[in-house]
Amino acid sequence: MNILGFTITGYQIAFVVLAGLTVAAAIMTVLLPNILRAALFLGLTLFGTAGLYVLLNAPFLAAVQVMIYVGAITTMIILAIFLSHRVMKIGFFQAIYNPVLAAGAAGVMFLFLFITVANSQWLKAMAAKGPAKTNIGVEAIARALLQPYVFPFELASVILLAVLVGAVVIAKEDTEGA
Amino acid sequence: MHSAYGIPISWYLTLSAILFCVGLFGMMIRRSAIGMLLSIELMLNAANINLVAFGSYLKMPTIAGQVFAIFVITLAAAEAAVGLAIVINIYRLEQHIDADKISAMKG
Repeated sequence: MNILGFTITGYQIAFVVLAGLTVAAAIMTVLLPNILRAALFLGLTLFGTAGLYVLLNAPFLAAVQVMIYVGAITTMIILAIFLSHRVMKIGFFQAIYNPVLAAGAAGVMFLFLFITVANSQWLKAMAAKGPAKTNIGVEAIARALLQPYVFPFELASVILLAVLVGAVVIAKEDTEGA
Repeated sequence: MHSAYGIPISWYLTLSAILFCVGLFGMMIRRSAIGMLLSIELMLNAANINLVAFGSYLKMPTIAGQVFAIFVITLAAAEAAVGLAIVINIYRLEQHIDADKISAMKG
């Protein structure tokens, strides 16, 4: 497609749509006073990110993102909200701290990051080609996890076990009075 | 020079910066501990986009970016599980989860 001298590819349109969805949902996530709706919008943000992973040639990661983030973490957060909130009663300005100060700080942070991205030389050298079309499949990820990255992989297993036990111990009702 | 898909990597990095700052903003304004956890998830997610983008835009595309992202997702799940367990326990003790008023751990 050619608009005003710029060539626009379908990938660019897909990126803009997905990025817009993701950012809009993220803003809703932080601004909605009702925490349950915020959690649902977090799910939408994570879903949009999964779409971006597909654009980045990482379909397996997209599937992982949908299963773990959208499927598991969001569900867990919503369950925790059910267990711990009186959801409907909170007004916007009771639910938040000073938004102007926070927006200022976040804006400064964004400016800093954006200037860094815009000015970096190595980025320009590196970014010329776009994502490689070699299809990095599940097999390559499995090899990477079990050969060069086997130590962090095992470490992650240990951490997950510790977290499993820890979460149960912390959340368990104290029935023995100890 | 245009990339194969016409998307320069700086688009992804800028998007990631926006998401991170939105998460940072949420982290600063939320009172409830669960709201803070939501913002942390947003920030981790932004970092993940960065990792995957760098991984697939390198001249020799590497799997490392995706593997790192998988580790980050794993740790995010772990962090959410422990964080929510703590939140539920605090709610049981104090009937609220306002991060400002939680005083159980103060000396």
